[in-house]
Amino acid sequence: MKKSGAGNGTKFRDSLLFRYMMIVLLALLFLPVVVSALSILFTLFPSPAELKYGSSDELQTVWHAEARRLDGADAAAVNARLRALKQRYADATLFWVDGEGRTRLQLPERGGLPETWTADEAIRFMKRSVDADPFTVVAFFGPEEKGPGFMVLQMPRAFLNIEWPVQSYASLYFGLMLFMFVAFVVMSWLFFRNIRRRLVRLEAAMARTDEDGLPAPVAISRPDEIGRLEHAFGVMADRLREGREREREEEELRKQLISSLSHDLRTPLTVIRSHVHLLGRERLSAQGAESVKQLEAKTETLGALIDNLFAYTLMTSGKYPLRIETCDIVRLVRQSAATWYPLWEKEGIEAEIELDGVSLVWKADRNAFLRVLDNLFQNVVRHARSGGYVGIRAQVLDTGIQALVISDRGPGMQAKSDAKGGGIGLAIVDHLLREMKLERRTDSDEGGTRIAIWPNREHF
Amino acid sequence: MKTTTLLYVEDDPEIGTLVSRYLRERGFEVKWLRSGEDAGAFAEGCDLAVLDIMLPGLDGFTVGRRLKKLAPQMPILLLSARTSIDDKLQGLEFADDYLTKPFHPEELEARIRVLLRRFGTFASEPVAIKHLLFYENENRLVNRDTGEEIVLTGKQFQIFTYMVRHLGQILTKEQIFEAVWGEPYLEGDKTLMVHIRHLREKVERDPNAPEVIETVRGIGYRVRA
Repeated sequence: MKKSGAGNGTKFRDSLLFRYMMIVLLALLFLPVVVSALSILFTLFPSPAELKYGSSDELQTVWHAEARRLDGADAAAVNARLRALKQRYADATLFWVDGEGRTRLQLPERGGLPETWTADEAIRFMKRSVDADPFTVVAFFGPEEKGPGFMVLQMPRAFLNIEWPVQSYASLYFGLMLFMFVAFVVMSWLFFRNIRRRLVRLEAAMARTDEDGLPAPVAISRPDEIGRLEHAFGVMADRLREGREREREEEELRKQLISSLSHDLRTPLTVIRSHVHLLGRERLSAQGAESVKQLEAKTETLGALIDNLFAYTLMTSGKYPLRIETCDIVRLVRQSAATWYPLWEKEGIEAEIELDGVSLVWKADRNAFLRVLDNLFQNVVRHARSGGYVGIRAQVLDTGIQALVISDRGPGMQAKSDAKGGGIGLAIVDHLLREMKLERRTDSDEGGTRIAIWPNREHF
Repeated sequence: MKTTTLLYVEDDPEIGTLVSRYLRERGFEVKWLRSGEDAGAFAEGCDLAVLDIMLPGLDGFTVGRRLKKLAPQMPILLLSARTSIDDKLQGLEFADDYLTKPFHPEELEARIRVLLRRFGTFASEPVAIKHLLFYENENRLVNRDTGEEIVLTGKQFQIFTYMVRHLGQILTKEQIFEAVWGEPYLEGDKTLMVHIRHLREKVERDPNAPEVIETVRGIGYRVRA
């Protein structure tokens, strides 16, 4: 048999509890994890290395620094520096304006700039440049940036802004949250659906029984709580099966015991009887002959008693499964009476059997019904011999049902019979009649006994 | 006259001694075995087997079934101490009759004779019934009073033979009808009664007060030796 300590044998990580805790934990941890993950993404994603010319702030700082450094430089120096800067910022447009407000070197040369800058034009240019594309930095020369003159850098914003994805990250974030939520629901659903399916399967297995009426064994699906339940169920079914098996063996043993006991009791009885028979053939006095006759009668009674006793024991323990079929009762009665007739004849009992043309078709077990008749007829011989009569006929009862009636003219059942032991015989009769859904009624007085047998309401 | 040999299997020494002594006294040859194991080896030349059901070693049913297979024409009489109805059924599948213990030795003898007659072992010997002498093998029935032969029709002969084979037993109408006609008896059928009346006219001294074929009122008929 399998180890039954499955409760301790299962690892915690195999358990349903653990698995569902994992799902919940995943769901709970998801929010902080996602938030921090996204923050990391924020800092990682727009890395400076990816901007060709640095950020706009850096560009601004550099440009102002350059302008400060060019304080007091002559035009040639400024031109040279601007050309050098143009090398560095190839995509930018550079130009400068001297102290007199004249536009000087433009890199590259471009239109749209005034030859000479008035204050008006300067302000308009500045105003135009604010938050516009290209990104424009205007730096005055000199340490305090007081001029005179200034230099301008215009850089297309495309180089400064790589698609800064604040907006798309937000939708990604919400999408992920939604996805996780749905995933959580789906996982929980799958989890419980799986549990439910396994439970239903187990329930079906418990309801399904084999030919012994025992539940069939269940395959263990997984080593978790349900798996343990399935295992425990299997163990229980095994125990039941063993119990049933043992019960059957015990019944068989009991039957054997009763049979051999019966045999052991009858064997000496047979010997006694044979000796009595031998004795009976000797020359005996009248007294002796009477004794021999009594001995024979008593051994007969004893044998019948043993028979009934064991039959009753076996029957009441359910060892006689009756084979109920439609029976011609009249035929069975004739058959039984034919075997009893010689004894009745010998005992001086007149038999009056009036069953010609009678039809009694009931559901009965042939042998059981014969046994019922045997016991009733035996009682007639034993207890009602003095009446010298046995009557067997069919009679319609008040209820309109036809009954089989067996009557004698003995002293009645209240009278103390000189041959006792009818009790167990009648117990057998009643047991068998009940099993065959037949009813018995006995009317007894000093004038005799009448036993009526008829099918009860459940019979047909 | 050839003696009839019985195969008798009984484990109890006392019963075995008593019964085989009784049967020998009654003119039978008895082969008494204490166990059923080699009953098959002794079956040769036996006319009938008497088996006790509770045998040590092999149980009586097994022995019986084996014997029936070995010698299907040999009748088997079971001596049963068993009570249960199902045992009787099981026994009767192969056994031809059974007797429960304690049995009367005379009853055993009577059953043996009935069985032997049924299986035709005695058929060669004439049976005397009242004023009649019946030679079954020769299909002959002789009136001993007159020495004349009584000629029976086919059905009459069948009915009479069936009754003689069950000499002393009461036979129900159903039993006789079904054995002779081979079909189920229907309550109220007068065929058998008519045949018996004609049969009686031939075999009885006085058909109005039959002696040979007795009527057992309400049950059937009986022929006694």
